[in-house]
Amino acid sequence: MAQLTPFTYRQGSSILHLLDARCKFFAICLVSMSMLSARLPVCLFYFLILLFFLKKAGLKFFTTMGSIKYFLMFLFFIFAARALIVEGEIIFSFHGISITKQGLNEGFLVAFKFFLVMLTGLVFSATTKPSSVKTAVQWFLKPIPFVPEKRVAVMISLSLGFMPIIAQKARDISDAQKARCADLEKNPVKKIIRLVLPLLKKTFLSADNLVLAMESRCYTDDRTDPEFAPSGKEIFFLVCSILISVGLISL
Amino acid sequence: MMPEKIIDIKSVCHTFEDGTIGIKDIFLSFYKGEFIILAGRNGSGKTTLLRHLNGLLLPQSGQILVNGKTVSNHLVQTRKTVGMVFQDPDTQIVGDTVFDEVAFGLENLKFKRHDINEKVTQVLKDLSLYHLKDRNPSTLSGGEKRKVAIAGILVMDPEVIVFDEPFSNLDYPGTLQVLSTIIDLNRSGHTIIIATHDVETVIDTATRIIIMEKGLVKEDGRPCDLVKHLESYGVKEPCSSKFGLGIRPWLN
Repeated sequence: MAQLTPFTYRQGSSILHLLDARCKFFAICLVSMSMLSARLPVCLFYFLILLFFLKKAGLKFFTTMGSIKYFLMFLFFIFAARALIVEGEIIFSFHGISITKQGLNEGFLVAFKFFLVMLTGLVFSATTKPSSVKTAVQWFLKPIPFVPEKRVAVMISLSLGFMPIIAQKARDISDAQKARCADLEKNPVKKIIRLVLPLLKKTFLSADNLVLAMESRCYTDDRTDPEFAPSGKEIFFLVCSILISVGLISL
Repeated sequence: MMPEKIIDIKSVCHTFEDGTIGIKDIFLSFYKGEFIILAGRNGSGKTTLLRHLNGLLLPQSGQILVNGKTVSNHLVQTRKTVGMVFQDPDTQIVGDTVFDEVAFGLENLKFKRHDINEKVTQVLKDLSLYHLKDRNPSTLSGGEKRKVAIAGILVMDPEVIVFDEPFSNLDYPGTLQVLSTIIDLNRSGHTIIIATHDVETVIDTATRIIIMEKGLVKEDGRPCDLVKHLESYGVKEPCSSKFGLGIRPWLN
């Protein structure tokens, strides 16, 4: 049985689960863009809203943080880079490398904004079925000429659906290697190569099998159109999203 | 009365790009309502033959007719008539819920949404999967996943259902679940073709056994006549037969 990743859809009946995916898509685009010019207090307020939705989506905050620890490390690098690069009032200096107060503030704000965008995406993917994501993408791409919206939508849906399977395969390979003392190897590059090569091979084989399975069930781009099931709360949710966006930009 | 012929394979050959012979000069006919075991060791050509029945592979020479129509000229019709359940259910699951997964084939056939909902609901109820309809298929047990894969085929109303190693990686309850589903399908009139190298679970139900080796059909006949030949082709003889008790049912 595959383990659920934080990005996997979880069955539920919260307001986020019931909302039309198009509405959620529009809202996360709007809020994520507004985040660019947001200040720290408003970001903190938005963080509280996200924590509420995270709980509603059935995700535990600390468990989720544990499973995205590599992303958090990436955020730490962003923070450190900003702290070292931005000029201003020097707090600490060592062999010509200085950390400034402005750098720390700016680094924290940028990293925190990235974190919030990622958390928003996580709440979205945990409460939206990949098929609804596909449906929404298809709907948004339809007016754009020369874009095969149905094909793009299926690709997105399959990629989302395959994430947990690839993650499970990576875990299996890693465990199989650990069972043969692979963790004694200290060179990180060798470790990554040992993991990535078999994982790629398995992923391509799985993709081949998936293609066969789809073909055997008469797969075609020209399929029955998806169905939207609005809950009736979309207008309210959109108004709230617009208010949050305005708040993020102007406060 | 002679049963109706559904699939007719005439002198079919398939060689892979690296020169390996997949299947060679196959002549076979499958009839309505049959329960056929396709046995043979790994690499004997079972999967290659099965993939020809569904049009996933096309014969390089020879011809396959499904309900009298050539497979290569009637691919969609063939795939509606011959459904295929793959060995690894994880890699054939396309939908993110059980309901969406089962609906996939009907969406490809451009059924109306209302009809899709109706047919999928019916099939899920028939296979006792309805309570799982909103579950993510990747979180199901092995037996449940395989039943979902069967539902995804069954909803397209096939006459023939082809299974590639349906019991591999299943525990005992999972095997029981899948086996009883397959037997029910055969009783309801579906022709069943199962490729396996472990015949013990299904040999009692089978009406015919075909043994393959190196891409060739070596034996074709009734299970009771061929059961003693199995081990010479790398297929384990059922325990009951080994102990002189003949073919005994695996499922009570």
